[in-house]
Amino acid sequence: MKIILDAMGGDNAPASVVEGAVRANKDLDVDVVLVGREAEIDKCLSACGSARGEHIQVVNATEVVTMEDDPSMATRRKKDSSMTVALTMLKNGEGDAVVSAGSTGALLTGATLIVKRIRGIRRAAMGPVLPNGGKGVLLMDCGANVDCTPEYLLQFAYMGSFYAERIMDCKNPRVALLNVGTEDTKGGALQKESFALLRQAADAGRINFIGNAEGSDLMTGRVDVMVTDGFSGNVMLKTVEGAAKFMFSQLKNVLYASTKNKLAALAIKKDLSGMKAMLDPSEVGGTAMLGISKPVIKAHGSSDGRAIFNAIRQAKACAEADVAGAIAANIEYMKIEKET
Amino acid sequence: MVYEKIVSMICEQFGMEPEELSETSTFTEDLGIDSVDVVELVVELEAEFGMSEIPEEDLKKMRTIGDLAEYVRTHADI
Repeated sequence: MKIILDAMGGDNAPASVVEGAVRANKDLDVDVVLVGREAEIDKCLSACGSARGEHIQVVNATEVVTMEDDPSMATRRKKDSSMTVALTMLKNGEGDAVVSAGSTGALLTGATLIVKRIRGIRRAAMGPVLPNGGKGVLLMDCGANVDCTPEYLLQFAYMGSFYAERIMDCKNPRVALLNVGTEDTKGGALQKESFALLRQAADAGRINFIGNAEGSDLMTGRVDVMVTDGFSGNVMLKTVEGAAKFMFSQLKNVLYASTKNKLAALAIKKDLSGMKAMLDPSEVGGTAMLGISKPVIKAHGSSDGRAIFNAIRQAKACAEADVAGAIAANIEYMKIEKET
Repeated sequence: MVYEKIVSMICEQFGMEPEELSETSTFTEDLGIDSVDVVELVVELEAEFGMSEIPEEDLKKMRTIGDLAEYVRTHADI
């Protein structure tokens, strides 16, 4: 198993990417390919007490895709960027998956243009796994597709279901459609038409569609895959992140309010750390770009070495479980034939 | 031939029907295709017609299927 890394992508690159890659090579039994400015990468390898060799390869790429680059043109303009070279290597079969903490838009566009979507998949979607006290909940889509059709949402449901089953270890994943109420008739045209398609797929025994769900159901453990358009998904994701930050800041205020409270905080310090770890995005790894013909994982822009390590673990799992293969094998069920 | 090929590619990529498309269909307003979709389409066309990469400034001028078809007709070796 060989994982290709965009070594120059992310706020802490290349140091964090190299650190995560070295650890993954050691602990996950994967070969890694670090793509980027080789002099900088070699320096970071040395700082980690490592060096390039048979299992840690370095491929030189002189350019870097930045957050200022136009996402739709970045990989076309910068042919020798670490991101473009990494994706091209994946396309050419020189590795099993790509991990990048670089620009999300550029990575999604680059993956679509270079690695290509699975034939029949209309749009690739981004599915982060959010904590829910159990195996997590996959949010499909979280922002890649602002405008969606019912067919897109049907495909997101299938892709999410395959991912949840193979990567999140959910048996018969419960798929729900994000809506403004749980009744079957709720929502606008997109939700109503999507509901009908998802119900048909469930009736045919292909997915476990449990109906509509509200935003408040996201993290209750009732749902394994929450299907929505990228606009609503992104609003939901950012709301959850903001709410979590607010809750933690309020909790901190309470715990530091008095000596009595500080003593209480000390008594539950270990439990609080456990809770924090559960909510730590670094533990999850990255966000899978589902619908692309080979595994591409977007790690968070601010990833440290641990987050990159976990993103590599996720990439390895995606490649081993062949999520893309499962999607491709079922593509005939995901298309809507238009009436003529 | 070029127009028909573009229509067939759009239908395949974006799940549309040929009847929904015409030379005057705009990518953004009529088809709901964003800039990434246009680039994706262009990459396929470049490969299909063996064209060199279409410059960005030319890409930005293309608003309709007809604009794209005309560009391919005048720049591809067909």
